[in-house]
Amino acid sequence: MATITASQQRALDMNVITRKQRSLWMDAADRLRRNKAAMAGLFVILGFALVAIFADLRVGPLHIQLAPYDPTCYFYLNGHTACGGDVVGARSGPPTANPFWGANADPRFLLGTDQIGRDILSRLMFSARISMVIGFVPVVLYFLIGGTIGLAAGYYGGWIDNLLMRFTDIVYAFPDLLLLIIIMATIRNTWIGDIMGGLFLMFIALSIVNWVGMARLVRGQVLSLREKEFVEAARSIGAGPVRIMTRHLLPNSLAPVIVSMAFSVPLAIFAEASLSFLGIGIKPPTPSWGVMINEGFVVFTGTPSMVLLPAACIALVMLAFTFLGDGLRDALDPRMKL
Amino acid sequence: MLKYTIRRLLLLIPTLFVVLLVTFALAHAAPGGPWDKDESKKQTQSIINNLNAKYGLDKPLPEQFGLYVWNAMHGDFGVSLTYRDRLVTDIIGDAWPISARLGVQAILLAVAISIPLGVISALKQNTLVDSGSLLFATAGTSIPSFVLAIFAIYIFSVNLRWFPASGWAGGDLSHLVMPTVLLAIGSSAFLTRITRASMLEAIRQDYVRTARAKGLKEQVVVVTHVLRNALIPVVTVLGPATAFVITGTFFIEYIFSIPGLGRFFINSILARDYPMILAIYLLFALVISVANLTVDLAYGLLDPRIKVSR
Repeated sequence: MATITASQQRALDMNVITRKQRSLWMDAADRLRRNKAAMAGLFVILGFALVAIFADLRVGPLHIQLAPYDPTCYFYLNGHTACGGDVVGARSGPPTANPFWGANADPRFLLGTDQIGRDILSRLMFSARISMVIGFVPVVLYFLIGGTIGLAAGYYGGWIDNLLMRFTDIVYAFPDLLLLIIIMATIRNTWIGDIMGGLFLMFIALSIVNWVGMARLVRGQVLSLREKEFVEAARSIGAGPVRIMTRHLLPNSLAPVIVSMAFSVPLAIFAEASLSFLGIGIKPPTPSWGVMINEGFVVFTGTPSMVLLPAACIALVMLAFTFLGDGLRDALDPRMKL
Repeated sequence: MLKYTIRRLLLLIPTLFVVLLVTFALAHAAPGGPWDKDESKKQTQSIINNLNAKYGLDKPLPEQFGLYVWNAMHGDFGVSLTYRDRLVTDIIGDAWPISARLGVQAILLAVAISIPLGVISALKQNTLVDSGSLLFATAGTSIPSFVLAIFAIYIFSVNLRWFPASGWAGGDLSHLVMPTVLLAIGSSAFLTRITRASMLEAIRQDYVRTARAKGLKEQVVVVTHVLRNALIPVVTVLGPATAFVITGTFFIEYIFSIPGLGRFFINSILARDYPMILAIYLLFALVISVANLTVDLAYGLLDPRIKVSR
């Protein structure tokens, strides 16, 4: 038996049953905390996020730099260095330095360099930035765009709903990746594709393809909640449509929305890695794991580490997000099964 | 049923039309054209004008689109603007069978792996077998196929030297194994998850308890009562699985240097080879729509409770 605190004793004396107040969300958090795979995933993600943030962080006088070098600097064998510039695409030939376990290793470059003398470790760390940003930013965009339109379509119906449904038909006729590929490949070489090394265009392309799913989800939730008693009660005391939507419909449809967002994060990372691997995603020299695999693939059999290291990072991050997503789904809605 | 089938087939026409329209608009909205591939070999404006006139690219866009649709309806998909001596239909005729063979093999393999795995894992819920297959399912759905392919090539081609790392060699068996398996992994992992979930739901139904209470043998209960009902939802996801496999072929073909349609797909977009882009998107949209239609029809046949004709 646990010891009883003074206040609990007092409550017992007063013959009142006390129980710590627990919200639905606290229960969910507890369930999530008990899920070992989800927690492992969370820690892996936190680790990558910290590396991404501190790869090179300058806040006023504070300067933390985890990455040993600038990821776009070339260290030539003759001792010269050069930074920036646009050495595009893959080049055959051996790396200028192997990773520490290989022959011809250079203590300055722990994981070696690529064919044109760029530090692999630094590139891996800066790539984590791309993956984290591409994981989280578009998901917020889907939520803002899809959530608003879904709410409006579900609540008002009418032409907004019709328009949404017709748009869905079009987007559903294309497999996601086909639509993404044509948007990326055609618009990539314009000024839009140059903003932030192609990241901005990826945000837009991903949002165009994916907001519809979120809108449909929210619409479905709203349709099922709209006629519930608590909404009727709110309406009867004079709450306006905006208040009903933001205070009653949205919070009550949040659980599946959070689950859907949790699964959208790895899908966005997946899309970035895949498109960059095909050479139509992030623009070199900006490093991303997909870009690194693309550039290292020509020398794969000679120097497998150049491809295996970024591939392992992608696999680890994807698994971590999936475990966390599964855990969130189980915690938030034990009835949802897949 | 017949009415429903006909209506769905007719619905294909507007769907394909919209796919063509969106693809056409996006391809032409992008800057650049098919003739400015190389900075060093820039063509003079008069040559470009002549080329545009020859291939009908000087006409206004709506007219070009109308002409394309009209010709396509008569089986004429034009000439590739990159390989100007070849018809689009010839290029696709050469490359598509390779991609299609790879895709069909992968789907068959995926079904052959995932259904037994999902069934066993549901019957032995919360055992080592179950968690093993769940791990496979999670890893297979979350890790991109090209990443898995990289590890597979490193292990089985570079180190063990069991299979060649690339090439097709006319579809010779040793060249087929790795691409097929890797293409199958993603969808089989997905199908395993669905099969397992759907089996678990079916096992808990009352009619299964009744069957057991009647004293039926466990095998009979599982095969005739659980399995038959559990597999219906699995059939429905075969449509999305087909789309998944088709997009997966781009990456697998790229990694293993397989001369399928995947290679032409990306290159044609980058080179603004409009007739190729349109034909390839049309083909993919057609395959996916037909797969979805087949699945919907099969669904109606398998489950008499579902009325397909609304």
